[in-house]
Amino acid sequence: MHTTGIIVSVLAFLLDGLLVWRGSRNGLLRSFPLFYSYLVYAFCGSLCLYFIYWFAPQKYPSAYWIYFLVTILAEFMVLVEVSDQIFRPYPAIRHLGRAMTILISVGFGLFYILPAVVWSNYIDTAMFSFALRASITKVVILAGLFYLSHRFGSRLGKNVGGLMLGFSIYVAVGVALMANASAFGPSLYAQVFWVMVPLSFLLCLLVWTLSLWELVPAPVMRSPGVAARGESTHLTLELTRFNDELSRFLRK
Amino acid sequence: MNILLSTAAAIAFLVLVLALHRRFRSREPDEIWQGPKCATNLCIGHWVDLSECIFNPADARWLREELAFPQLARDLELQRRRLAIHWLRALRASFNQLVQTPDLVASGDENSAGHWRMLWLTFRFNGLILYALAMVGLFGPYHRLVPSFSWLPLPGHGEPRFRRPAMADSRGPR
Repeated sequence: MHTTGIIVSVLAFLLDGLLVWRGSRNGLLRSFPLFYSYLVYAFCGSLCLYFIYWFAPQKYPSAYWIYFLVTILAEFMVLVEVSDQIFRPYPAIRHLGRAMTILISVGFGLFYILPAVVWSNYIDTAMFSFALRASITKVVILAGLFYLSHRFGSRLGKNVGGLMLGFSIYVAVGVALMANASAFGPSLYAQVFWVMVPLSFLLCLLVWTLSLWELVPAPVMRSPGVAARGESTHLTLELTRFNDELSRFLRK
Repeated sequence: MNILLSTAAAIAFLVLVLALHRRFRSREPDEIWQGPKCATNLCIGHWVDLSECIFNPADARWLREELAFPQLARDLELQRRRLAIHWLRALRASFNQLVQTPDLVASGDENSAGHWRMLWLTFRFNGLILYALAMVGLFGPYHRLVPSFSWLPLPGHGEPRFRRPAMADSRGPR
């Protein structure tokens, strides 16, 4: 199991590096800055962990947990990136995904994640509850983004679709693993689950590598209309008129 | 039990994601925009006139009070309620069509404040139209809507509401 864990972890590390290298070559790095920042963070973090593992193994457990907890927060960057990309061609709802991501993150953070951490008696329970609830929050955000993109007819495209699919796999596996870990305790996690987390990340990286190998512009739903062809002032005016008409109707 | 539920939820989520992903992939761009039939351009006077006819209770009142046909008045109200809901849905479809207009020229993050303002207008409109649909569906088209949510801020309210000349031009000879 130990060897398997090392192999999976090294494979994920290499694939992560390959993705960053490929992103810098094909221009995706500029198009998806937050996502590639996360990948660079994961790459550097893994590298640091390897160094600690080989040169200061007694410090490895604490370093691993710090990295693990910071990663849970850093993964929200992927969601912010996805939410920014989905509605990028549509000026009226360009910030819709980001607004939803921020609202859900803050709401769940205050009323769902924080209480579990604050009211836990043991540090292990608190950590696993934090990880589980943060993963569930990510699932809710992803589901919300899928719904909104469907509701507003936004076509995802290969890059963003792959980004969401890979991350969904990773998060869904993470929820199942964390639920098991919080139910059975950290001893089982130490034996089995610590291999499964990098394995799910490896699977996620495979999907990302396939979908982000080259820059594929997302197809837009309709040809640009006269009303808003690059004229956001005109579009704002049209939106205001609709609102004005509806307000007038409501005041009657 | 908790584990089973969490695992089942995770699997269900995965299946949902895969299904949605396949659905998104399988559709061609040209096929996608087949939304509900939209309202005509709001600048056209007929469209605004139509709403004023639908939401005007004078006909029903005339039937009930002056001609003493209460049953006919009730039938007219039912018809008008259906028309009002249809009008509101068409207005929403037209708004959604406007919202889904891509901007291929400026795709960067410039004018962020303007985009947040547009997002607020989109939220405001969708919230108000849901409220209006619910109220018209429950009470009919002739009731005053209280609260009217007129306190909800409408940025750029100083702009002219409709182009009156365009409305006047769009009216055919009578």
